[in-house]
Order: sequence, then C-alpha cells, then structure tokens
Amino acid sequence: MSEYYPGASIIHRLDPRTKFFIFICLMLIVVFIMNPLILLGIDIAILLLYVVAGIPLSRVKGMIIGVIPVIIMFVILNIFVIPVKNPTIIGYIGSYPIAWESIRAGLSGGLRFAIFVFFSRLLTMTTSIGELVSALIKLKLPAEAAVAIGIGFSSVGILIEQINTIKEAQMSRGAPVESRNPITKAKALISVTVPSIYLTILRGLSIAKVLESRAFTYNPSKRTFRKIVKFTKLDYIVIALSIGATLILVIITKFYHITY
Amino acid sequence: MGNNNSEYIIEIENVSYKYPGSDKLALRNINLKIKKGEIVLITGKNGAGKSTLCYLLNGLIPHFFGGELEGTVKILGMDTKETPVSYLSTKVGLLFSEPSSQLLTSSVEDEIAFPLENLGLPAEGIDRTVNEILELFGLMKYRKRPPYALSGGEQQLVALASVLSMNPEIYVLDEPTSALDPIGTLQVIEMFRTIARMYNKTFIIVEHKLEEFALLTTRLIVMDNGQLIYDGSPHEILTKKAIELENLGLEVPQIPLFAQKLLDKCKPEVESSLELPLTIEKGLEWFLSNISRFKPCFNSFLSKESSVNATKEKSLEEPLQVRGEPIIEVDHVTFIYPSSNAVALKDVSVKIYRGDFVAIIGHNGSGKTTLAKHLNGLLKPTKGVVKVFGMDTRKTPMIELIKHVGYVFQDPDKQLFTTKVVKELEFGAKNLKIPQDRRNKIFEKVVDELGLKDLLNENPFFLSRGDRQRVAIASILTMDPEVLIFDEPTTGQDPKGRREIMEVAKKLHRDGKTIIFITHDMHLVAEYAKRVIVMHDGRIIMDSTPRNVFRMVDELKKIKLRPPSITELFLNLESRGLKVDVIPLTVEEAINILVETLKGD
Repeated sequence: MSEYYPGASIIHRLDPRTKFFIFICLMLIVVFIMNPLILLGIDIAILLLYVVAGIPLSRVKGMIIGVIPVIIMFVILNIFVIPVKNPTIIGYIGSYPIAWESIRAGLSGGLRFAIFVFFSRLLTMTTSIGELVSALIKLKLPAEAAVAIGIGFSSVGILIEQINTIKEAQMSRGAPVESRNPITKAKALISVTVPSIYLTILRGLSIAKVLESRAFTYNPSKRTFRKIVKFTKLDYIVIALSIGATLILVIITKFYHITY
Repeated sequence: MGNNNSEYIIEIENVSYKYPGSDKLALRNINLKIKKGEIVLITGKNGAGKSTLCYLLNGLIPHFFGGELEGTVKILGMDTKETPVSYLSTKVGLLFSEPSSQLLTSSVEDEIAFPLENLGLPAEGIDRTVNEILELFGLMKYRKRPPYALSGGEQQLVALASVLSMNPEIYVLDEPTSALDPIGTLQVIEMFRTIARMYNKTFIIVEHKLEEFALLTTRLIVMDNGQLIYDGSPHEILTKKAIELENLGLEVPQIPLFAQKLLDKCKPEVESSLELPLTIEKGLEWFLSNISRFKPCFNSFLSKESSVNATKEKSLEEPLQVRGEPIIEVDHVTFIYPSSNAVALKDVSVKIYRGDFVAIIGHNGSGKTTLAKHLNGLLKPTKGVVKVFGMDTRKTPMIELIKHVGYVFQDPDKQLFTTKVVKELEFGAKNLKIPQDRRNKIFEKVVDELGLKDLLNENPFFLSRGDRQRVAIASILTMDPEVLIFDEPTTGQDPKGRREIMEVAKKLHRDGKTIIFITHDMHLVAEYAKRVIVMHDGRIIMDSTPRNVFRMVDELKKIKLRPPSITELFLNLESRGLKVDVIPLTVEEAINILVETLKGD
C-alpha cells in the first residue's frame, strides 16, 4: 500500500474485502492442492493479474527473481532434512540419495510460498491505504485501530526513504553496505540499522504529538471517512467466481486423487 | 468549554515550565496577551523556548508532555489545563517545525482531509475543502502523490495545508518556511496575509527569517533563555535594536542594520535620531534623502583611518580569476531516477577546480542534490561522464571516490550510530583502511580544529544538534578528503549555528580543501561562496561569482531566488545614478563601498 500503483483496472476497482476473500480462497487451495504443476499455473495466473492491473512486470521483477532462491531452498531442505517413505531415487549427491518425492515436495512448498508473495503484493499495489482503512472499518474494526493501521502503512514509504538516505550517508563514509560478503555486509548494516531505529522512535513520538494536534482523539466514534468502499456487481461476480474456482480445483484434485 | 469575554484571544499569565526530568526552566515567567487578528512573529536562538511556547498554546503542554507548569494559559477563555488537546486543536492549528515527521497518510489529498475526517465533517464538504486548499497551495498536480515522495519544501506546504484545512481561529506555525526557497517563502507569507485579512484570523509565527516576515506581522517578540526580552512593533524593534539583535545571534534585516551601522560610524556628525528604514524601498528613499549628511562624515572618516582601503581591497576581490586545475569534471550528464523516471539532470556540464568554494543554489527540486550525489559516486549518470580526480565514476568503485570527496549529509541523525564520538570519528577512516599512524595524525588535527576534545567519550545521541552536526562533519574530515560537499548543512540551525558551520567550512577552505555547499540561504552564499552555480529544472543556468549572479535580480526572481537585500538596495541606488565600483554582498562591504564612493564626490 505504501507502494500503491494508481490505476482504474478491474483489480483496482475491486473492494479490498473482495481481495481479502480471494486471498482466503487461495489459502484454502494451497492447503488442499500440492501438485507443483497446478500451483505453478496459479502463480502464473496471479502474475497475469498484474498485467490486467496495468502494472508492468518489470516493476515486480525483483519479487519474481527473489522467490527463485526461496524455491531452491525449499527443495534443498526437503532433500536433506525431511525423510520420505518409499523414495524413488533419481540420483546421488556424493553418496546421498536424491528422492523425486523430495524435489516434488520442495517445489510444491516453494510455489505455495510464491502464491502468497505474488498475491499479497498485488493486493498492496492495487489497494490505496484509504480503501484499506475503509474496508477495515466495514469489517467492524474500531476507527482508531483502522486509522492507526493506515498510518503504519503510510509510514513504510517514509521509512524506506529514510533508510535509503542513511545507507547513502554510510556509503559515503565507506561502509560496505552493498558488499557481496554476507558477514561484511551484515556488520556494515549495523550503521544503517541503529540510526533507522533511532529515527523510527523519534517519528513515533512525533506522530503521537501530531495526531493530538490534528484532532484525532476529538471523537473517534463519530469520525467520518471520505472514501467509503462499497460492494458492486463486479465484487459479487468475482466472489462467486472465486468460490466456484476454489471448489472446482479442490473437488477435481480430490476426485482424481491428484495429490502430487 | 469556557467563556471568552476578554478582548484577548490568548492570555498567558506568569507561566513558567520545566520539561519532565529537566532541572532547567524552558519558559520563565511569561506574560503575554494577544488580541484577535494580531499577527505575531516570535524569534530567538535555538533553545530560547519558542517551540515550547507553541506547545503551550494548543495544550500539548501540559497534557502530552507533562512536566511542571506554573501559571495559567487561556485560549479563547478556556484554561488549557482543563481543556483536552483534541478540542483545543480545533481552535488552535499547530504546524510543527519538521515537515516530514508530521505527515501521516498516503497521499497529499488524504493529508489535507485527515483533520476534517477526525472532526466528523460530512464527506462532500471535505472534498470541497480539499479541492479549495489544493488549489490555494498549487498542490493540485500532487494530489495523489505520497507525501514522502515530495521535496522538503513541498512536504512543508502539505503540512501547512493540513493545518489550514481545519480553519482554526488561531494559527501557531513553528518555522513554516524553513525548507522553502526564497520566493516560496514570500508566496507563503502572501497567503498568510490574505487569510489574516479576509477571515480576521490570529497568527503566531516562529521564524528566523525576520526580513521576510517583518512586513507581514503586527508584533514582534524576541525570546532568549525562556523569556520574552522584546515585545513591540517589528519596525520599532528591528530599526532600534538592530545591533542588539545581531549580537544575540539573530539574522537581522540588512537594511536597518546597514542604516544603523552607517549612523554609528558617523556619530556625532550625523544625528542618530533619524528614523531607520526597514524595506529596500524605504531604504532607497532614506538613503537618497540623507546622502548629503553622510558626505562630510565620510571624508573626515577617510582621512582618519588609513586602513579602509586595505579592507576594501580584501573584501572586494573577485576570486574566480585565479583557479587551480579541474579536479571534478561533469560532462554532458543526464540523470533519470529509475524509480520514478523523473529526469533530474539535463545535459549538465561543469568543472570543479582545486580551491573552489562553490555554492549550489536553486529552488526546491531544481537538481542540486542530484548533482552533488554524482560527485562522490552515490549516483551514476544515465548519460554523460563524471570524472573525479581523473576517475570515471561509472567505472570506479565508490570507496576510491570517497577518498577524495567527502559528503556531509543534512541531518546528522541519519549518520551517527555509535555510542561514542571517538568511534564515530574513526568509522570512515577505518573503512578506508588508512594506516594507523596517518589516521592518528588526521584524527588529532580534526579533533583540535573542530573543538571536539571534550566530547570524545560522549554518546553522540545525547549531544546538542549543533554538536552532532560538528561530529558528523568531523567524521567525514577524518577520512581526509580533498573535496567536501555540505548538503544543506544549516537546515534546522539558528543563524548563529549556521555561521558556526560555515566558519568551519571557511577554515577548511583556508587549509586547502575544496568546498561545495548546497543552500537556500542567500546571505550565506553572499558571505562565504567564491563561486555560485545556479540550477533550474535540472540544468545549470548561471555559473559565476556571487556578485555577478546576484546582479541578475530579474532572472533570479523568475526561478524563485532573490539576492540579499543589501545587494538589491545598491542595485537600485545604481539605477538611480549612484556610481559604485562594485555591488556589495554584505552590510560591512556596503559601508566600505559607500565610504569609497562618496569620498570627495
């Protein structure tokens, strides 16, 4: 939301509650479905939604590339850490046997993780903080809590800017914050983390002062909201389609015993 | 909630205040009454108690800060001790001094709407008000932008717009123009004037920019050490107490200061009871009508003091004529920020010479910082080449570039991270792997030069803002760079603090360093820079001596800049027939030039 990408696409026009609902459907799907091919299909479908939303994929290149090492890590963990019953050995690393089932389970775990990442990012990039706050109010969250969450999300952008400046200041003092050596980098990042924490605490104190001065505690229960989200026909259609798609996928996989 | 039968909208009686955990009084026995419709300017050094006084007015003191408060504060008849801040804030709109720390939401329009939503106003009314305010502030094109993506000056306008949206009775504005360029400041002042006149609102404005605000306000209060030391009409105080205010470390308007110093020099030949001018226009009239009185004084003065000529030569030299070799070369550089695709530099070419003392000026968003960040490799050109000591910044690791070019950031809080000053000073030098013996030598020299010996074992986070800034500068100096970039080093400092930093820069320049500084403060440019680079819309549009640049008054105004008023006064005098050899940049220079011009004429 701090990285909201303005637009008027179908995805942008959906009520945030509808997007939350799709997210819940996806959670159900990944509980029931483990087949890497189907999961990959869902991942690709979500990426296509970025295109529908008018967000260039180049903008989320980092996210897509970023999940690859996670998927590899899932596979490695499955191979070396999680035992398999009746394994189908397809090769050896040294003398250590590699089971096809381990690779499949690793891929499945990684692709499920990717579904969460891809969809959460789509949600944040197509939902403004104002819409989110309004949706939370409709979901019966107290106004103070909803606005506080909104302010929290709004602060992310400022904090990122702040961290970038601190990073530049420390790079100007020779701190190897972009070193390829993870230990050197981790040590150098202390010089970025400490001022960031300090400034975040200062910002927290400042926000408290500003909230009081902008009448936030005037009468929270009577607070109005300029943007009020409303369900439209589009939302009902998308919710119906989501339920349908979830049921179909779950039923097909159960009916045909597609576990992996 | 209270009854206001008094003619005063603000009544502060016998107020003293201590912050929690502090032994020192932040406010001492303040008595202050302000009528509806008054526009009060409050000034004073950092730490004089100005912001504390602001917090008192909307009830943050005592409700938010706690502490020990004596005396009574009544706003519209309501005792602030008994009225919640949330209610007082509907009557008293408070703008805080730091722009980015008071922006709460994700877009400019949400920021303006935020207080209105808190007050429970109907959504349609809020939309109308938001649109009106966006229009008034010229922020319509930014309405959907997140506030953090705006420049410091624009953020300040958004915060101000948010306060204005509540339509309070009393506006309390703590340094509302600290991040604005000179013309931006004048535009905001004009807006205050309109609101005050049209709606009869009361304004309490804390500012260091006395020259700009003096004409807006009806009353000036000077604070020092938690007390009100002067309270009266701005004209009266600024023309009669100019020297006293200057001694307090404040930025006194140049015209009355010049007139006062001229009178002081000519005592007793010219009577000192002459009423002094405040503005350039009045200064012009005053000077032309009194010029004949000063002539005999100058003649006798010249015959008495033989050192004047020497002073004149020293202060009027034009330094660009002698230059070292170029050490940084920016060649046809264009830079586009990848995240926003904004073109920040457009085909910029410039050379920095060894021994330069350069000011980079320009309105908010003109590309000053983007250019400076190219000089130590923080940014690499999208097109074109930057060479630092012969090294192409695109092909050279940054660690090699920062050995030659040090960059002092605006805010020391974004740099300091250790628990001891000594560790902070060693950080950069160790990263550069400077040999121990050389490191020690540089360290001792820097500590000595910046007077940090007593602070070495202190925790930087507990130091004053001025000391933290000195530690931040020292931590770059210990890396022993030949070129130093100061990026708006004086923001948040009072005039005395600004001069202290610039004096450090001046000393370093004398010791052979090349200095580049970015600023909005034209007085500092006039006083310290030997060369000025003027930027506008990502291009360099002027590059010359301060004297040459400040002659271009009309061109500068078009790009939201203006020369110091003493320079503008002399340009006006020149156009009215006074022949001066050179146009002065400072008050002292102006007096010397005048003496020289008027002798025997």
